[in-house]
Amino acid sequence: MQAADWTKTGVQGEVTYATFGCNPFQESNFPTPDRVKPDVNVERQMEVSYDITAPDGKKIRLWTFTDPLARTEAGRAPMYPSPTMRFRQGQIVHSTLEPKKNAHTIHHHGIEPTTVNDGVGHVSFEVNARYTYQFQPTRAGTFFYHCHRNTVKHFEMGMFGMLIVDPPEGPGTLFSGGPKYDVEKIWCLDDMDSRWHDNPNHDAGLCGEDVGLNIFRPDYFFLSGVFNNRTTTDPRAVINAKLGETILIRLLNASYSVLETTMALPGTCHIMDGCALGIEPWNAPLPLPANRPFIMSTAQRRDIIIRPTARGTFPVRFRFLDWITGQVQHNGRGIVDTRIIVS
Amino acid sequence: MDRRKFMKVGAAAAGVAAFPAMASAQTTGGMFDLTIEAVDSEMIDGVFVFSLMFFDRSEEGRPILEVTEGEVVTINVTNLDTRPHGFGIPGIPAASVASIPPGGKATVRFTAPIAGSYLYIDPTLAPLNRILGLYGAFIVHPALGTTASGSPTPLSRATHTPAITALFDALGNSERFPGNKWVPHDVERDKVWVFSQVDPLIAERVDAGEAVPPASVVPSFVPRYFMINGLSGYDAAPHKVDATTDWSKGAGRIMPHGRQGQPTVIRNMNAGLCSHSPHIHGNHVFKLTESLPSGAISVATSIYELDSWPLPPLSRQDLLLPFERPRDAPVWPPKDEPFPMRYVMHCHTEMSQTAAGGNYPQGLVTHWEMTASL
Repeated sequence: MQAADWTKTGVQGEVTYATFGCNPFQESNFPTPDRVKPDVNVERQMEVSYDITAPDGKKIRLWTFTDPLARTEAGRAPMYPSPTMRFRQGQIVHSTLEPKKNAHTIHHHGIEPTTVNDGVGHVSFEVNARYTYQFQPTRAGTFFYHCHRNTVKHFEMGMFGMLIVDPPEGPGTLFSGGPKYDVEKIWCLDDMDSRWHDNPNHDAGLCGEDVGLNIFRPDYFFLSGVFNNRTTTDPRAVINAKLGETILIRLLNASYSVLETTMALPGTCHIMDGCALGIEPWNAPLPLPANRPFIMSTAQRRDIIIRPTARGTFPVRFRFLDWITGQVQHNGRGIVDTRIIVS
Repeated sequence: MDRRKFMKVGAAAAGVAAFPAMASAQTTGGMFDLTIEAVDSEMIDGVFVFSLMFFDRSEEGRPILEVTEGEVVTINVTNLDTRPHGFGIPGIPAASVASIPPGGKATVRFTAPIAGSYLYIDPTLAPLNRILGLYGAFIVHPALGTTASGSPTPLSRATHTPAITALFDALGNSERFPGNKWVPHDVERDKVWVFSQVDPLIAERVDAGEAVPPASVVPSFVPRYFMINGLSGYDAAPHKVDATTDWSKGAGRIMPHGRQGQPTVIRNMNAGLCSHSPHIHGNHVFKLTESLPSGAISVATSIYELDSWPLPPLSRQDLLLPFERPRDAPVWPPKDEPFPMRYVMHCHTEMSQTAAGGNYPQGLVTHWEMTASL
């Protein structure tokens, strides 16, 4: 392992217009500073030729993180969203990135490590070959991770996945002292502008060319990787619970739209952006009345507990709103419907 | 065209007459002289775009106007543009002028209301004149901002909620927040982030004399530049900080900077037309206030800790960046990794991270620096 040369990074190197954007600091095998023995190791590589087929037959090229340490072949295969990371609060985590092609980073969004473990190239470095990010999550809740190189493009291409931190008690408890749950569902909302996916250039636009990355007109909409034509039936989207069970929804807006959510069941938000509510004296859990829309902007998370009091099928609607006009995207078609079925 | 101000930004700006980024215009005794002027303003990629801006006597573009609650405020506005304009501060109905003809002058006089962050704008032909650049920050400091226990806050005591009191009393006085209380009247502890966007095509049409229908602006708005206090990307943070750094203006008023335990207020406002989703690394922020549709300020009864927050057009929110130790670093203070810890803040609706259709991340981004541990 090489010695750390901080002058070649954004930490002590000279930051210029070029290092800020077109030619950011990059490192291979940079030694993780203040490295300590990990409790858990995860690793991510990338797959940049993963195609999914839309209901209309269009092939959409995705770039995803993959998990080479997964126990099953299916777990090691490319998937969208990228494979979930799941840790226990207090564990020391080593999250290793091994880009197979080009430079990338991992930003563990909502986790608060030191600067070089935060995954932003222009204040530290991007990873050409292998870097181990080190952190120790101190809060239980819902987070995510994504590539922070040319983020506008790489995040949209699919280089993100969920990151869940369980309390020491493990899954089934939202946070120590917080609610318990029986049924857990990740609802990750995303939209894609298929035109953006036709450009294979990882560095698109970085050095001055106009590649239209200021204009986002999504034409496909997803709930946890499911196209919106199947979200009322696909088990990745639909929640099935028995009466008397407590449901936890881990909700992420991974789209570039303003997300409006309307649920036919009342819920309570117990964690916002990874911070439990009601622990400190300055906040309390947030009731979410049934059929009252609430807004989440890009990258926000809500951990919502629902305790149904009757059997039935309860619709949930997500509307993807344009960030300028406020109108439903794709001429009103930017909608995802799903259901909570209580039996 | 020739008589217009010609405004460059960043390192190349030394020696030119006008500077587009916001500067503090405190210590004026509540008296301000503003002009409305047409300028050619340089974008981060070197392109010049027609803009309209407020200036003050110091030739600083979009001055930050700072007053104290209860003070009588006088703002003289002289319209040096060739088109009629107006003046208004949403949330302060008395601070309003319906129209000022070309070459004309108008005065608003009002008593500064409860403390908080406001936007002054040209509300005429809304949203056209605002998105051409006619906006700035108007900040009201409290006459009495301390909690009953004496902890300073940026908000009037009469508006304090139990949540505000609990949070500011905990600063510098609890296991979680070792270090200082918030320090008022210190530009290093009081930052301003006014977001905006620029659509060069609409600007070009106005410059060419076209009467752009205000109702057509939102449906046709295609922003190509995204800014904090008029600055984008590399220009929106000082990259060489030393004893001469001026924290009252330009990138210095944007970038939070201090050691662990120096909590800092951030006044986050959106003068543009895009709904932003600012995201901060390193610490979460505490959301203290937000503006209501009427323009009035709502002080939080439940203060949420957020790493991303919606900021729709004309929204104003006061935030507290606690300067806590990065809570998920297993080794603190770090032994191998040198200070400063540097963490970005960027809008996560990532189209805002571009300039002229690419150039990531020369858009709506800055960072904050933690220079040392306690």
